[in-house]
Parts: sequence; structure tokens; C-alpha cells
Amino acid sequence: MSEMIAQLVGVGHQYEEAPEIFKGVTFNIEKGSFHFLTGPSGSGKSSLLKILYLGLKPTWGSIHLFGEDTLKMKPSLLPLLRQKMGVVFQEFKLLDHLKVVDNVSLPLRVRGVEAKRGHKHAQELLDWVGLGDCVESYPQSLSGGQKQRVAIARAVITRPQLLLADEPTGNVDDEMAMKLLHLFEELNKMGTAIVIATHNSRLLKMFPYPQLAIQEGTIRKLPTKVI
Amino acid sequence: MNNRQDLPLKNDIAARFVPKIVALMVYLGTLCFVFTLFMIHSTHSWESQFSSDLSIEIPTFPGTPSGMLQSRVLQLLNNTPGVRHAVAVPQKDMANLFHSILGEEVNIDLLSMPVIIDVTLDGKKMIDTKSLEAHLKNISPHIQLLDHRAWHSQVSSLIHTSVMLALLITFLVLFAALATTIFATRTSLLIHRQIIEVLSLIGATNTYIANQFQTNALKQGLIASTLGSFLAFLTFLGIVILLEKIGLPFNINTSFFLEAVCIFMLAPFLTAFSMMLSVRWAVMRALRL
Repeated sequence: MSEMIAQLVGVGHQYEEAPEIFKGVTFNIEKGSFHFLTGPSGSGKSSLLKILYLGLKPTWGSIHLFGEDTLKMKPSLLPLLRQKMGVVFQEFKLLDHLKVVDNVSLPLRVRGVEAKRGHKHAQELLDWVGLGDCVESYPQSLSGGQKQRVAIARAVITRPQLLLADEPTGNVDDEMAMKLLHLFEELNKMGTAIVIATHNSRLLKMFPYPQLAIQEGTIRKLPTKVI
Repeated sequence: MNNRQDLPLKNDIAARFVPKIVALMVYLGTLCFVFTLFMIHSTHSWESQFSSDLSIEIPTFPGTPSGMLQSRVLQLLNNTPGVRHAVAVPQKDMANLFHSILGEEVNIDLLSMPVIIDVTLDGKKMIDTKSLEAHLKNISPHIQLLDHRAWHSQVSSLIHTSVMLALLITFLVLFAALATTIFATRTSLLIHRQIIEVLSLIGATNTYIANQFQTNALKQGLIASTLGSFLAFLTFLGIVILLEKIGLPFNINTSFFLEAVCIFMLAPFLTAFSMMLSVRWAVMRALRL
């Protein structure tokens, strides 16, 4: 039996007076797996990712992450679980007062890695995503696509056990989207479980990984498509 | 510890006013504390000089020898239970006292100076002053018994109350400085809540986030309180020089001066350390909620 990274059992969520967005969602994410999280806009892809990175508490159900029951664990464990994850936020969440290189190396710094070493790693990743000449820039001076690549570099710099990406190719051209997906595949080959929320059907066709499809508040696991 | 700042705390609105308030509070607090210290020193000095509990005044009349009365009074006092020590104030000291009040040009020999006997009581034994006064009146109806203990006790209690009040004010000033720091930290937490959220989402512990605030508080506290303490020291020096020039009878001895200098030197470190701890407490508490 493969090692479980995340187990969601009967998870449901409701934003106050609004109707519930999930009804008993149950699925597992195994170590080294690759999933696309699909569904139409507003179906709750981002909310489900938010629940996975513990930014949102579900109204019902239980979540086990890295073997910990997240609803019963000590609050002090939360940062330790998050340190095992990398998240690409849809709205990037870059820190505007820090240089690009500092933004990318931030997760390493938070884990106590020396600044010089962190900068070296960040430089390598930025070169890889084609932003090697933007190291000293500030996020405000970057385009949407560039910001997205910086956000991806920040999410993968720690080689997390679980990578959650919310529309990571939404602001980049096809060529860059392919390049980024290949980066995710490389990470996946090194053992990182990957969940990418997207509604880009072209990407889904080109990378035939299993899909977790949100439909009417429930989730269906679609098998790997063979081209 | 990684001292790099991930939060732009230096550009805060709070960062602009907190150092000024802290500098002012440290200025007032250290001056108030040094004043308290001065009062404690002065009280000790006064209390050590003030040894007599009772005074007996034997008036002298021109042409009447007072030696006989004096020896009878001393004999009575030495046989009275509760009296530890009784001694006549030397005439030279009396003359000096009169000169200091009436001026050097006055011829003391023309005045009929009374004989004063200082009496020190044994604190462990009770003394019946009414009975003693009656015995003194038997020797001479003009002899006066003056009991200093009541007013001495009142003055002592007034001084001690003043010292306690001054200490209370010092602590209130320190408390106000720390409260201001805590309020400013809470404002900072609100201003930077999005950055804190990002740090938290990428795995920063509460301690890591609190370190950012406390390092900043320590730096700000040290700079502001050093300035406040230095200005307070200059003010203190100014007051000392002024008092010496005016010639007021304040006894600023070396021991007090050195203690005051120590306070001015320690105040910045203690304030900065207190600020750092308060900020850490405020941040950790806010992040736990």
C-alpha cells in the first residue's frame, strides 16, 4: 500500500449563509501521485486547495495530512505540516517589499536556511523559469506571468512532499505553461505529490494524469487519459 | 537566529511615533527614579543625623549659674528607665546655631543661651514622659521638655509616602511606555496581516514571526531609550549645577551621583528588553487567537 500524504473523508464546507460548496468529499492523495483538480469556475477548486493547505477549516468531515488528524492536532504542528507543502496561490501572494530573490528564498529562510544558500537556490530556480535577470527586481515591476513564475519558484524551492497549485498556468503563454508543467513533472519524479487546479482542457489533454473532478459539490476521480 | 526582516516594520506608522514616545517616557521615568533615589538618600542622611528623641531646655537667667540645674537634670535622666543616653549640647555648638540664625555679627555672650540636653531613648523600653516632665518641673518650673518623636514620625511617614508615590509614578511611566508599544504592535499586526498570512502559509512558526517584531522592538527601544536617558542625564547634571550655584542645602554625595549614573546607563537596556518581551507577548498572543 502506498504512503498517504492526504486523506479527506466526508469533507464539506459552507460559507456562513451561502449554500454548501461540498457535500462529503472523500479522496486520498498518495505519495508521488499527480492529480489535476478540475471543475467549472466557481465549483470550489480553490476552496478545496485552501482546505488542503489548512487555510480553511472544513465545516464537516476529517482531514489527515502526513498522518496527522488536522482537526485534532496541536496548533503548534500547523507550521510543520505547512513546511512539507508548497503552494502556488492564484493571486500569487508575493511580498511587494521584498526583491524577487528574497521572495523565492523566503520558504528556505523560514526553515532556518542561511540567506546566502537560499539566494543561490533561488537564483538557480529563477534561471530555470526564465527570470534570471529579474533577481533584484521587485514584484510590482513584473507582469502577471512573471509573478506567476516567481510564485511557482517559491512553492517548489523546498522540494515539498505535496505541491498544491491553483491555476499555475493561468497567466503564462503555452510555451511557458508546458515548461512549468515539465518542472512539476520533474518534482513529481523526485517523489512530490502534486495537485494542480485547472480548467485548461488543452493542458489536461497533453498531460494525461488522473483528475479529481468537482461536480455539483462532490468529487469524482477520473482515470488517467491515454492519448 | 535569522535577523533578516521579512516584515517592513521600519516603514510603519507605528514606527514613527513609538520611538518618540518611548524616548519621552524614559526621560521622565529615569528623572523620576533618580529623584526617588535622591529622596531615599536624603532621608537616610537626615535620619542618621537626627539622633535625639527628647530635648530638655534649661533656661538661664543673667547672673544665675545653670551648672547646678544641669547636673541635677542629667542625674534625673540617667536614673529614668527608658533613657539610653543624655548629653548637654556644647555651648560652642549652641553658639554656632545662634550665629547661623541671627548672623555672625551678633554677640552671643550678651544673650542668655539656654542649656539644651539631648536625650536618646531606648526603643525597647517605654518611658513615661508625663512623670519625667513632673520631676523636671520639681527641679525648676522653667525647664521645658520637648518630645520630637511625634513630628519626627510624621515627617518620616510623609517622606516615605512621597518616595512610594515617586516610585509608583516611575512604574506608571514605564507601564505607559510598554502599553504604547503593545498598542503599536497590535496596529502593526493589523497593517501587516497579509504578509503575516503569507509567512504563516509558507510554514513560518509563530516564534519566527514574533522574532521579526521583537528584533525591531529591541532596536527601536535601544535607540529611543538611550536618547531619552541621555537627555535625562543632561537635565540631571543641569539641576545639580544649578543647585550648587544657588547654594541650596541639598546634599548630592558621590554615592548618590554614582547610583544615578548607573540608572541612566541601565535604563536603555532595561527599557529595550522590557519592550522586546512585551512585543513578543503581544504578537504570540495575537497569533494564537
